[in-house]
Amino acid sequence: MTESTDRSTASPVAPAEVGGLAPGGFEPLLLAVLSPAFGYALRLARNRADAEDLVQDASLLAFRAAHTFEPGTNFKAWFFQILTRCFYARHRRQQRRPTTVDLEDTPDLYLYSRSAAAGLPWEGEDPASLLIDRLGSERVEAAIEQLPEEYGTVCALYFTEDFAYHEIAAVLGIPVGTVRSRLHRGRKMLQKVLWHVAEEAGIVRDLAHREERP
Amino acid sequence: MSHLTRFTSEEAFRRLDDFLDREQSAAETELVHEHLEICAGCAREFRFEASVLRGVRAKLRQIEVTLPPGLRDRVLAALAAEGAR
Repeated sequence: MTESTDRSTASPVAPAEVGGLAPGGFEPLLLAVLSPAFGYALRLARNRADAEDLVQDASLLAFRAAHTFEPGTNFKAWFFQILTRCFYARHRRQQRRPTTVDLEDTPDLYLYSRSAAAGLPWEGEDPASLLIDRLGSERVEAAIEQLPEEYGTVCALYFTEDFAYHEIAAVLGIPVGTVRSRLHRGRKMLQKVLWHVAEEAGIVRDLAHREERP
Repeated sequence: MSHLTRFTSEEAFRRLDDFLDREQSAAETELVHEHLEICAGCAREFRFEASVLRGVRAKLRQIEVTLPPGLRDRVLAALAAEGAR
């Protein structure tokens, strides 16, 4: 592979080009967030080839805009913001996700009330853990994929990247209040999808029987 | 704090998300805590919601994202070419 030649000795970032960052400061920051950025790009683009292009293009744009990054702030949030803009500059039309559950008017505490009604754990220190453990990572991820785009993206940034509301707002270029309301609705929708998936997979039935046993 | 300033269940529940996400003031957080200490029903609901968030977060973070072969190098090569311009 020739493209990595001399990478370790020759930083592409010259001191005068990186604004408030220390000389050579851009590259390590970027490399540290490249994997989560690819994961996020994959969620947005929904195929690996486009996600790769997106990460590469966003990296170049970020490099050119490095002087606008404020050291001490969250580099990952700053880079994700550039990546998001990059994506929407190419894909104006939002892709509707294949939702199989009617998510309109999902009530609060959906999993709580369903769990209680079905005889699943609903009390204790970590009452939802049994259900979510049985669902597993892949089903939970697939459940987020089923949410409408605007809710799924906010939920993904919230759950996987640990961004605060104001950071999600900056990444997506929307007001904090919109993040708050989308996250609120998105969580409710997610609970409904998770319950639906758990029912379909027979997990609800299994856990209810298990609870019935002495 | 006087009982006159305590949250009702409705007021506490309205702050559920902000409370769990630590997105509210220390004073509001304290008022929610006070309510949860005296209201078993709300405390159960809050615990359940916290458990869901914790569980979903943990599951999603178990998923490892692997960078496609060569992407890191292509990115660095693009930066190097840009820096050399």
